[in-house]
This record gives sequence, C-alpha cells and structure tokens, in this order.
Amino acid sequence: MAAKKVIETKKLSKVFKNGEIEVHALTDINILIEDGEFVAIMGASGSGKSTLLNILGCLDKPSDGEYFLDGVFVNNLNKNQLAAIRNQKIGFIFQSYNLLPRTTALENVELPLVYNRTGEFLNPSEHAKKALEKVGLGNRIYHKTNQLSGGEQQRVAIARALVNNPALILSDEATGNLDSKASIEVADLFVKLNDLGKTILMITHESDIAQFAKRLIYLRDGRVLTDELIKNRSTKESAIRELGLTE
Amino acid sequence: MRQLFKTFKVAFKAINKNRSRSLLTVLGIIIGVGAVIMTISAGEGANKQVQDQISGLGTNLLMIYTKMEHRGGTHVRLGRPIDKKDFDILQKNSVWISKLSPLVNIGAQAVGPNGYKSTVVYGVNHEYFDILSRELFSGDYFKEEDVKLANKVCVIGETTREELFVDLDPIGRQIRLDKIPFTVVGLLKEEGQGAMGQDQDDIILAPYTTIQDRLIGHRRGYDMIMASAINENTVSDAKIEASELLRESHKIRDFEKDDFDITTQVELQEITGNITGILTILLGAIASISLIVGGIGIMNIMLVSVTERTREIGTRLAIGARESDILTQFLIEAVVLSLAGGILGTVLGIVGNHIIYKLTNFYIPTAPYSIMIGFGFAALVGIAFGYFPARKAAKLNPIDALRYE
Ligand SMILES: Nc1ncnc2c1ncn2[C@@H]1O[C@H](COP(=O)(O)OP(=O)(O)OP(=O)(O)O)[C@@H](O)[C@H]1O
Ligand SMILES: [Mg+2]
Repeated sequence: MAAKKVIETKKLSKVFKNGEIEVHALTDINILIEDGEFVAIMGASGSGKSTLLNILGCLDKPSDGEYFLDGVFVNNLNKNQLAAIRNQKIGFIFQSYNLLPRTTALENVELPLVYNRTGEFLNPSEHAKKALEKVGLGNRIYHKTNQLSGGEQQRVAIARALVNNPALILSDEATGNLDSKASIEVADLFVKLNDLGKTILMITHESDIAQFAKRLIYLRDGRVLTDELIKNRSTKESAIRELGLTE
Repeated sequence: MRQLFKTFKVAFKAINKNRSRSLLTVLGIIIGVGAVIMTISAGEGANKQVQDQISGLGTNLLMIYTKMEHRGGTHVRLGRPIDKKDFDILQKNSVWISKLSPLVNIGAQAVGPNGYKSTVVYGVNHEYFDILSRELFSGDYFKEEDVKLANKVCVIGETTREELFVDLDPIGRQIRLDKIPFTVVGLLKEEGQGAMGQDQDDIILAPYTTIQDRLIGHRRGYDMIMASAINENTVSDAKIEASELLRESHKIRDFEKDDFDITTQVELQEITGNITGILTILLGAIASISLIVGGIGIMNIMLVSVTERTREIGTRLAIGARESDILTQFLIEAVVLSLAGGILGTVLGIVGNHIIYKLTNFYIPTAPYSIMIGFGFAALVGIAFGYFPARKAAKLNPIDALRYE
C-alpha cells in the first residue's frame, strides 16, 4: 500500500539555548506518518512532546534536520508561507482550548476561515456549522464560550481544527483539562474523525486515552524510545466499561 | 482587499466586545478634539468680531500721527509734531484724500445735571463724523462754523449720556468740562465695543479749536490727523501722497526717516489679524496637547489590551493569521477608536460652541477647518499611538503567546 506521506522527518533536532545553558529538547527524530493514521505520542514530562508537535505544526522551526509536510519541504518557507500552511493544512487543538472569550461557538469555528486567502470557503458560517455538527454541537452554535462546559469547549476547538479541512490534526493534551468521561468522548470523537479519513497526531499523558489510537510513539529525553502499533485498541464502550469498574 | 475587509470586521468585533473600555479610551480623544474645535472657533470668532469693527471704522481711513520712539523707558517724539501747517498742506494739495480732521485729546472732569465722571475729551472738526461714519441718534453735529469760532458745543455718546444725564434728554442742555460749560448739540447712535475693546459710546467730541483754547491752552500741534481717501481703492495712493507732502512740509531730506506715521485701516486689520491669529494658534496648540494626552491614553489601553489578549493573538497566529493581519487588526482598532473619538469630539465642539453662545451671547461660528484639524489630528494620533502596540502584538511569538498565563 503506497499511502501518501503526511509527515516525514529526517534527523530532526531542536536545541534551546538560554545563555550558557543548552537544552536538547529533540534529537534525531525520524518519523513517517501516512495519510489516515491515528498516532498517540506519550512520554514523561519534559521529554519533548510539545516541542515536536510545535515543529510539526509549523509554529516552530527545527535547529537541525528536515521536515516534509504533505510533500512540502517546510524548512525553506518564510513566515507568511508558514502561516498559510498552518491555515490550510493543519488543525491545532490545545489543552486549554484557546477559544476567543465572550464569543459564540460559531464565530470561534469560523476564525481560521477569516485568515484563509484561497477563496475556497466563501460561506464561512455554513462550513462552521457543519464542523460543529460533526463534533455533536449542532445545538450549541450560538452559545458563547463561557456558556459551555469544558468538554463542549474542547469540542468547539476540535470543530475549529476541522473547519479548514486540514491534512493533519494535531492535539496537545486535548483531554488534559477534562474528566474521564469527557476525555473518552473526545477520544471517541478523534476515532470517528479518523474513521472519516483524517490523519491525527495526539499527545497524551493518559495511557487509556492513547489506547484509542492506532499507533503509539514513546519519547524519552527528546528521542524516540518506541514506535509501535497498538494491538488492543480501546473503543468508547470498552473504555466506559473500564471506567465503571474502577469507580 | 477582501482580506482587509475581513480584518476590519475582526477589529470591529473586538471593539464591540470591549465596549466600556473602548469608550473610556475614546474619552481623551473626544475631549481633545472638542477642545481643539472650540478654541480654534473661539479664536476665529474673536478675530472676525475685531475685523468687523475695524471695517466699521470705514475702509477709507488713514491715521497720521507723530512718530514716537521708545528711548530709555519713555516715549519720545521724533521731530516736529503734526500741526495746522501739515493739515493745511494736505487739505490744499492732496488729490486722493477727501476729508480731513485734526484730533486732539485731553483728560477732563465732565459734570452733567445728574452725574459726573473723569474722562477723555476729543477735539475734532465737523468732518470727523463722516470719516468715522458716526451717525446721529438725535440732535445735530457741530458745524464748520462752530469749529471756526471755537464754540463751546459738543456731541456725546450714549454711555456718556447715561452717566451724566441718566433719564434726561441731553440735547440743548449743558455739561461742564473742567468747569467750562459746553452745550450738547448731538447724541450719537450706539456703536458698542470698539476693536480694542473700548466702549465707543463713552465719548465726548467737541471742536478741536475749543478744546485747544479752553482745555489745552495752546494751538501747537495735533495728536493725530484723521483722513479718508476718496474710495477704498485709493487708500494706498493717499498714503503715499500724504507721506510725500508731509516729508516736504517737515523738510525731511531723502536719506532721513519719516518723523510721522501713517496707518491705514487695512494695516490695522492686518495687525489685529496677526494678533488674534497668534492667539488662535496658541489656544489651538494648548488644546492639541490634550489630544496628544488622549493619544497616549489610547496607546496605554491598547498596550494593556495586547497583553490581555496575548493568548488570543497566539491562537490567531497558530490558526494561520499573518503578522500583517494582526498588525492591521490592532491598527484598525486604534484608528477606529480615535476616529470615533473624532466624530464625538466634533459633536461636542459644535454643541459646546452653541452652549457658549446661549450663555454669553458670544457667537462662535464653528470653523470648518477646525473640524478638519481636529479630525486629522485624531486619525494621526490613532495611527501614531496605535502602531507601537499593534507592532508589539504582531511580533509576538505564537508559542510564547499561547503559553502566556
Ligand atoms: N522555549 C524554550 N526555551 C528553553 N527550553 C525549552 C523551551 N521550550 C521547551 N524547553 C525545554 O525543552 C524540553 C522539552 O519541553 P516540552 O515542552 O516539549 O516537553 P513536554 O514533553 O511537552 O512536557 P509536558 O508533558 O510537561 O508538556 C524541556 O526540558 C523544556 O524545559
Ligand atoms: Mg507539553
């Protein structure tokens, strides 16, 4: 099967310099992620997960090594081109949602389209409504951010990450602020989106959430420790059953 | 272009989200623009009033007087005073001058049937009234005859009448000027305040010959000769002509300076125009300071706003906003705020002018250019003081901005 490569890194490294002190946050990362994959990234705190995701999300540049996103050699791009890539090829989801305060769900989801210069999305609110329906918030379109629960806010953020129809969805501890039930809902939403063909890369601390993915990359001290397929994937049902047992 | 329109929408939404803060931000600009408009208009209004009064003097007016020089703290007369000889030469030879009147003045105690006052008495001839276009309310002017015979007659203004006669009709009655009785033959029509703020109705006019004989005690020299040119287009010709005649009369050689001055009404207008102009600029400048303070207010609030919205900016950058998008958004916010301030300030200025008119009767037409200055300045302040915060926002590193607590 010759699936399309969405992410390819070659000897990717990141060194933070703070005066005299150098932090080797990432060292020689080689990963290949193909279209339609669902990858979880785990690792201890400080192992470089967020650093990796920021580089893959074109928010940061590597100190060394090469990065190809959807066939584009990212290293050479200037700021505006990176902004365009973030806008068109990537959907970002953060632990703290990062929604605009006192703004409706709809307007939040429309936001990436405001900065879209391709002219593809002529009717932003239609696209935004569809994205909100996909995450099950069709009935919360005009709720303001502060009128939504944490889980709902995160689903708005996921809708925002979907609205531009990106090649890649990146999530940095999307379930970090949520309780177990809401975390399972979000993980299940990822599974459904992946079933629809979306390529997803998610960082998580919780191994039961990681079990929803198809593949698990484990980082330690900025290097890939293990990279393997997950055999017994969780489903929403199995996870809820387990939740019931522990309670 | 479409992107700019979208950014406009974003900026308006942001302003709308922070309505009360936006209003406070704008307050400084409102007051600043209002102040600029009101002060400039007041200056213009004052200027117009002064100019109108000078025009009221008669556009043909020339004033010829002895040159005074400031020496060692006192005014010293240069050369010969203007006198009867000069007057006669001008009267006989001048082509461009149609009417002439000497003017002498002296302080005197004036006593009427119902009051008294210390005042200045002016000695003029019968043509004076024409030169300055002073009209009568009742009675008559004194005549050439009265001047020739040095009759003890006078014409007074309304303020003087009120003080000396209260409710009596002054015509035909007597007043005493330094104990010398004068018969009032005419009462002048009210004129109001003069160009320099003096009351033009507080006046006593008598034949200059009488004043010289009875009050001054000699017939040497005049304080001034007032003249009017045949029409307003010949004022400068009249001035040149009078100057030549007087130089000849005073035997001034070619290399010597005049020992007299001739001021025309046009020059007077220019001088006072300059003075009130400087006043307007000064007032406007002071008012502009409040605009700058308003601008600093905008900058301050925008900086706070950028800090407060750091995460929002990070989010926008993360989902694909360019630096220029953020820069424009914040610039538009600043400019829209200051323009809104400009509009409200203009309203404030116009309403303020109207209120002043209602309260003091001092009519201030709102000068259109003051609105333009106020507005332009407001926009400039918005861009100038909005740029720094906007740039700060645009230069944020998205990762740091997203992490900002
Ligand atoms: N801007 C920075 N400057 C200096 N050092 C940094 C910077 N960002 C991250 N680091 C360092 O790089 C290393 C990796 O950080 P990173 O945030 O990627 O870890 P993480 O795996 O996401 O941890 P966590 O699970 O706690 O989020 C850490 O040692 C961190 O201190
Ligand atoms: Mg992290």
